[in-house]
Amino acid sequence: MGDSQYSFSLTTFSPSGKLVQIEHALTAVGSGQTSLGIKASNGVVIATEKKLPSILVDEASVQKIQHLTPNIGVVYSGMGPDFRVLVRKSRKQAEQYNRLYKEPIPVTQLVRETATVMQEFTQSGGVRPFGVSLLVAGYDDKGPQLYQVDPSGSYFSWKASAMGKNVSNAKTFLEKRYTEDMELDDAIHTAILTLKEGFEGEISSKNIEIGKIGADKIFRVLTPAEIDDYLAEVE
Amino acid sequence: MSQSSYDVPAKGGFSFDLCKRNDMLIQKGLKSPSFLKTGTTIVGLIFKDGVILGADTRATEGPIVADKNCEKIHYMAPNIYCCGAGTAADTEAVTDMVSSQLRLHRYQTGRDSRVITALTLLKKHLFSYQGHVSAALVLGGVDITGPHLHTIYPHGSTDTLPFATMGSGSLAAMSVFEAKYKEGLTRDEGIKLVAEAICSGIFNDLGSGSNVDICVITKGNKEYLRNYMEPNPRTYVSSNGYSFTKKTEVLRTKITPLMERVEITEVTGEAMEE
Repeated sequence: MGDSQYSFSLTTFSPSGKLVQIEHALTAVGSGQTSLGIKASNGVVIATEKKLPSILVDEASVQKIQHLTPNIGVVYSGMGPDFRVLVRKSRKQAEQYNRLYKEPIPVTQLVRETATVMQEFTQSGGVRPFGVSLLVAGYDDKGPQLYQVDPSGSYFSWKASAMGKNVSNAKTFLEKRYTEDMELDDAIHTAILTLKEGFEGEISSKNIEIGKIGADKIFRVLTPAEIDDYLAEVE
Repeated sequence: MSQSSYDVPAKGGFSFDLCKRNDMLIQKGLKSPSFLKTGTTIVGLIFKDGVILGADTRATEGPIVADKNCEKIHYMAPNIYCCGAGTAADTEAVTDMVSSQLRLHRYQTGRDSRVITALTLLKKHLFSYQGHVSAALVLGGVDITGPHLHTIYPHGSTDTLPFATMGSGSLAAMSVFEAKYKEGLTRDEGIKLVAEAICSGIFNDLGSGSNVDICVITKGNKEYLRNYMEPNPRTYVSSNGYSFTKKTEVLRTKITPLMERVEITEVTGEAMEE
């Protein structure tokens, strides 16, 4: 990690005690496309806008929601390429854990290890922090879980959270709409409505992505047809 | 003055003192230990709809049967299985490692694993260890390009075959295959032939024994038939097994717990603060 010329960290403290690079990274996240997650009583749903730079882009080739393990999925706001790198590292860590302990990695452990990687990039020579915040959704022995991981490496467990451009509106909306005993399908409807709040243009199955995990512990990305069904129900 | 470091290396790194000792012992006439015989019969064949793998279930430690019912057919991917002969630890470790690599590869590509991928990962690993990883494998599976069957030798060479056998019982099993194999076998014919070949190994080779495990892999489906045949059941002198008719009288019961009963209370961890 880092050229031999740059054995010093590029992320340094400011006089006020802040790490300015991390603040800037959070700004990069804040200008990324909105994504959100909701933890229901029997599952978790994560969703994101999928605005493509031009109508010529083949939208089937873009997949923003990714699997880390069969029962853990992740979505991001911020820089796509940084997300790809993190997903690759996280998958490898999950697999190493599985090989060593012969059990699927618990969600908290995977979140912690991913957060550790992100923190390392704020304290190493010649590298910059990641410009993404992640929303990790998983279902293991402890039930459904939703975690947010920031570029600084800090992570939080949320009942519902949003990131990206429309974060303040989305969070206000979620605060009003969230109930403890929500079921997974209600959560998906709420997620769609929250995305709709700040959406520019017409919302359709082609410009949003939804991933869910239920008590069956299998994380799935919904097909466009399934998203259309949920959109119709919401209308 | 402390009496330190009889066998601590001066600066770290490998200590060659024992090598000198070994050389001296060999010069004095001690024979260095030889390799343990592989002691297995594993087979595979391609039938009409896919691949059938078979293995015996005896694990040997020299002249002793270490495990009467071990599993020699290892999982590599949902559509690929691998039988292993040789040092049990080597076959377990190498198939486990490659199965892990294949899973990561599946996540990256979003596609099912191909048999040739497993083959190449295995042979590269074995070759790089120059035969010291003593694993002889029969690898079979069905992928998008069709059914495949390969053998992999400990030094890293491979064969692609319609039917294959490995292990100390390989000659006994191969004689059955050479006599009775034909292309386009049905599932039942294939299973019968594989069972026959393994039985031939079980009965004619000392290093193989106990039961027959079979794995049938077809497009989109796999069946792991553990202990498909048990031609060596345990027999007892009495057909009812042992039973102790004369019951001892219980005069007094006193139970002393040897371990403290520990109550575990879960304290939920707090989330990190920024």
